[in-house]
Amino acid sequence: MRTYAPATTEAVLARLLEEPSLSAAVAHHALLPAREAVTAPFPAWLDPRIVRGLEGRGITSLYAHQAEAIEAVHAGEDVVVVTPTASGKTLCYALPVLQALAVDPSARALFLFPTKALGQDQVTEFAELARASELQVAAATYDGDTPAPIRSAIRTAGQVVVTNPDMLHAAILPHHTKWFQLFEQVQVIVIDELHTYRGVYGSHVANVLRRLLRLCRHYGSNPIIVCASATIGNPAELAAQLTGRSPRLIDRNGAPAGERHVLLVDPPLLDPATGARGSALTHAQRWALPFLRAGRQTIVFGRARVAVEIILTGLREALREHLGPRSRIRGYRGGYLPTERRAIERGLRDGEILGVVSTNALELGVDIGALDVSILAGYPGSIAGTWQQLGRAGRRQETSVGILVASGSPVDQYVIHHPEFLLEGTPEEARLDPDNLHVLLAHLRCATFEMPFEPGEVFGPGPVDDLLAFIAEEGHVRQANDGRWYWSSENFPASEVSLRTAAPENVVIIDTTPDRPRVIGEVDLFSAQVLVHTQAIYLHDSTQYHVDRLDWGERKAYVRRVDVDYYTYANRAVTLKPLDVFASAPATGGRRVHGEVMVASLVTLFKKLKFGTDENVGWGPIELPELELQTTAYWLTAEGASAGWRRDDLDVALIGAGRAIQAVAAVLLMVDPRDLGLVSQVRSPHHESPTIYLYEAVPGGVGLSERLWARHDELVAGARELIQACACDSGCPACTGPRLDPEVDAKALALRLLAAMDAAADPSTASTSDPAGSTAIAATR
Amino acid sequence: MTVVGLERRLANFRQGQAASPLDDGADRVRRSTAAAERLAASLDGELVRTPQGAFVRVEAPSTILPIDRVRLAGLPGQPPATAPLLCLDTETTGLATAAGTLAFLVGIGWWEGSRFRQVQLLLPDHADEPALLAELARLIPIDGWLVTYNGRGFDWPLLVARYRMWRESPPLHAGHLDLLPLVRRVFKHRMPDARLATVESVLLGLRRHADVGGWEIPTRYLEFLRTGEPTALLDVVHHNHEDVRSLARLLVHVDRGYADDERWAEAPPGDLAGLARAFAGEGRHAEALACLETALAGTRRPEPVLVPIVRERSVPYRTSDPDDEGPWWSAHRRPDFGGPPGRYARPDAWPASDPVRRDAAWTESRILGERARMLRRLGRHRDAEAAWIEMAGSGGTLAALAWIEVAKLREHRFRDLGGALTAASAAARLVERQGLLGRRLPRLEAGLGHRLARLRARLARDQARPMRLERRRIRRSTAASSGTPSSPGASTASEAAAAASLTSLASPGVRPIRAGSMCAAVSAAMNTSPAPVGSSSASDGIAR
Repeated sequence: MRTYAPATTEAVLARLLEEPSLSAAVAHHALLPAREAVTAPFPAWLDPRIVRGLEGRGITSLYAHQAEAIEAVHAGEDVVVVTPTASGKTLCYALPVLQALAVDPSARALFLFPTKALGQDQVTEFAELARASELQVAAATYDGDTPAPIRSAIRTAGQVVVTNPDMLHAAILPHHTKWFQLFEQVQVIVIDELHTYRGVYGSHVANVLRRLLRLCRHYGSNPIIVCASATIGNPAELAAQLTGRSPRLIDRNGAPAGERHVLLVDPPLLDPATGARGSALTHAQRWALPFLRAGRQTIVFGRARVAVEIILTGLREALREHLGPRSRIRGYRGGYLPTERRAIERGLRDGEILGVVSTNALELGVDIGALDVSILAGYPGSIAGTWQQLGRAGRRQETSVGILVASGSPVDQYVIHHPEFLLEGTPEEARLDPDNLHVLLAHLRCATFEMPFEPGEVFGPGPVDDLLAFIAEEGHVRQANDGRWYWSSENFPASEVSLRTAAPENVVIIDTTPDRPRVIGEVDLFSAQVLVHTQAIYLHDSTQYHVDRLDWGERKAYVRRVDVDYYTYANRAVTLKPLDVFASAPATGGRRVHGEVMVASLVTLFKKLKFGTDENVGWGPIELPELELQTTAYWLTAEGASAGWRRDDLDVALIGAGRAIQAVAAVLLMVDPRDLGLVSQVRSPHHESPTIYLYEAVPGGVGLSERLWARHDELVAGARELIQACACDSGCPACTGPRLDPEVDAKALALRLLAAMDAAADPSTASTSDPAGSTAIAATR
Repeated sequence: MTVVGLERRLANFRQGQAASPLDDGADRVRRSTAAAERLAASLDGELVRTPQGAFVRVEAPSTILPIDRVRLAGLPGQPPATAPLLCLDTETTGLATAAGTLAFLVGIGWWEGSRFRQVQLLLPDHADEPALLAELARLIPIDGWLVTYNGRGFDWPLLVARYRMWRESPPLHAGHLDLLPLVRRVFKHRMPDARLATVESVLLGLRRHADVGGWEIPTRYLEFLRTGEPTALLDVVHHNHEDVRSLARLLVHVDRGYADDERWAEAPPGDLAGLARAFAGEGRHAEALACLETALAGTRRPEPVLVPIVRERSVPYRTSDPDDEGPWWSAHRRPDFGGPPGRYARPDAWPASDPVRRDAAWTESRILGERARMLRRLGRHRDAEAAWIEMAGSGGTLAALAWIEVAKLREHRFRDLGGALTAASAAARLVERQGLLGRRLPRLEAGLGHRLARLRARLARDQARPMRLERRRIRRSTAASSGTPSSPGASTASEAAAAASLTSLASPGVRPIRAGSMCAAVSAAMNTSPAPVGSSSASDGIAR
């Protein structure tokens, strides 16, 4: 198939679907109809200068969700806006802020974005809108890149301060007396990309916001909070957990959209016995090429920098052979200089650049206009992220195409065979636990430093005197003669708390590539064992780093930037001991339990796995001491389901079922599968029955296990569907895990066990549908 | 406290309960009061009780320390003679000026006639802070000037933060004289660092005995809060008392030695060179020049000056210490407590070896350079040129810099391209020689390369296109009907000028100048040459 001449997106897609080798891999093809805009006029109270400014930019009315959001904010309500990419979310918070500034120039607003780049983009956009409205607005980013002389000007005169949670935590809150103008006058706090604040990071950010609002109260301000989030299962709940308030949910999308094809592509199984699959990278290229040749603007997302480079090289070579537009294809990733990135963004907007291959650096809000085709080489890790990437293609008038190409990981496979997750409301939820003991105590220290606690003062759910008394025993805090709790140490607590890790003791990751080594991150000890052991490939900001040396005693990992086509996976040998049961309930074939566990972990070797195919290309030993982790876990016992099983079979079945459950859990709770540890015991010493444990790899946990306990039935059913839908013969890395013994049919064993535990299949509880999921998927193939 | 106990506390917290009944605090108040009384007694001070809390006030006997305020006011950056001065120094629980750092001891001192009085305010407990702050506000006169050492960067912002914490506005005052910049400017060249203790020993000839190190101070106070035992604080109070008194002594030292130009001749030349910069910074160029000329006379005196110039110790300048990575709030940055000495170089330490740096040690040729710069600023370009040529006599990198300055003057002021080329070539030769000696100066080299290329191109253009230039010049002068003196053969004029400037190198000061024709030729050449490299875009990023 050669499509050199320009053609419409639909024509190219039609031709591609006629190609048998490509269409055979399409697991699902959905056509989302075009949607008309639902608009509302500008509210009467909106300052005429702002209306003129908007009209000057070609905006003559608001979309329904924008109007609803700004009316709610105008009425003093907190809101959380949940609408897809490119639906004009920015206006939902920019307009109330501009209005507040138009009414009272002494008003202030604080914008929080998860990354520096995003903050810098947004401040530019906001400033343009302000200029168009002929309002004098001092909007500035305050982050690590802000030069010192400008900082003090922003502190005293910045009306709109754009920053990120880390900066707020370490630089703004501890120095609030220098920011008193902001704290006294802040009227709106904007938290964009809300869904990124989950897990440990989210738990920290929730506490940073508690500290922020506490200081606002001290200075007599009561700001409105405007949150914006990608589509997730529980936006209102997440916003409530993060902010401690109950914002109003606005999810009625009024933005128009053109017709959109969504294709889920599963590269065919090359060898049903081993489960070897076609590479997602190659398939993504094959789908991208014809669109590029036909002159359709196309974006391809790779999960890592190296994936981007592989795809980019492949596309350029293919286009050279056939004299295609290869110079108009560009790469885009975190390491590029801001000017390069701006040039690429501009090129995409004005059509100069035809194709771009990107890491998730382009996933969040950066404005590149709308393209024709978006192709994802691998599931980005969350359905929200998938839509943000797919949403890069989506013209208002014309047809667009989004293609998700699955890799061989169980999580990818699960998602690709559940098109309803993607198309009909997401089941994934963002979880965090602001009251994680480690996180909470860390922020109580910071909060005391910032402002003494009154006796009986509430921080989050309850009064904290008892916890402060505990910190006082360490000597950092004391209760003075007026009963208040004061910081009484020369330490600067915010500098000791990293928002990325829960435990106080961390391994610092030092990049030795530049002339001046620089710290690029921190990981807690438990994760460090598997992530930054010597010779590991550590992925940070889509950049690969090779760990040259892990100095365990010094808690330092020395890394170097590399581009390799493999990643490493460390095997953790874990012994697990339940400590306490928080909740327990009978389930089909056994029990489901939520409780506290002690995990002892020893990491002894790692494997090198090839990108895309997950093929094993080498291994090495790891010599690190054993670690203990006290955390929360969810476990299920199978005393009923496993009656009459052979011990060996049961062992294999538990491992296979556990792997599948782990993958499903990762999808439902938007986490990396590595954040959930898996242990299976044929005869648990605690329950004296076969048990599968999923524990949180974070000290104290962040609330994941509680949710897993609640969603037990979905997990079992999902795991069953995942294994059933897999095209392999008898178990593969995409379902039950790598095969250990070629003689054993892990797939059949795991399925048998899961069937006995599946509530939907249990005749005693339900008789509605048996393998409904699997037949439906077979039909779509 | 066991882990289980903490878990129970957390569980209660999650349920929003106050687990244990809050105590009435009577015992705490009793203990705090007893500690405050002990503190006052051991310091021989007075425990002042106010509705806002209590503070301990300590006043040591005053001392006679005459100062001539009118004379002092003549120096750059000094407070007006009529403004009351308030010397101030704080002791704190940490070095960040963030919200959780407390100023637990504020020492102040002021003149009453020639008598210097000192009072110290101490905080017996966290909760008493409003009382101390109120008393301090009462003591700062609204028309007064604060006198501090690094107070602009530390003490005062910290106190402002304390007032803000209690939602009070910080006390008003008329001005703030921070002596640290003055010391850096005038005296740093003969001190290994700019700590107040060093100032005392180098400038004032004082030596403290059994002084408490700055890094111990927070611990000692926090220990007092915990135990109520004030003994360890006695040294801290003494330390603060001496610090405040040293502020006064330093000011008197400056007043006596530098405010009166009669006394300049006795001062080390390096001090005067620094003082000249201070004058120049306020636009007082004539005084700066006088200062520099006295300094130069000093360097040529056969006998050593009264106060010998202390050869500065070369201290390694930390540039690539990985511990210094990251922003100032980073956990990996070492806090600077000012002691114990020798562990690492303080940021105040400066290298003495690099003469190109603005903060290098003062030498005769550097002072010459300063003088030349001052002459240029005063518009005395010929004298400036002569001064630079004199400076170039010393050889080395500084001579190269001097020749570059000569080249600039000749090219832009005197319109003497040939002379400029000669000077630039001299500079290039010197730089090259430095390179051969292993001291490469890449930036200087590159800049010189540019300059030489530009000068050669302009000279060549002037020679190659005399007729066109001439025609254009005539056209323009007739069009503008201005009286630009015309001279036939611009190229010969410029050649003559170049030759003349060559001779001038041998005998600086006496040079034949044919300014009229040169200016015409050069300005015509400027017209055809591309626009000079501007810096219009340089400030764009910041302006936003």
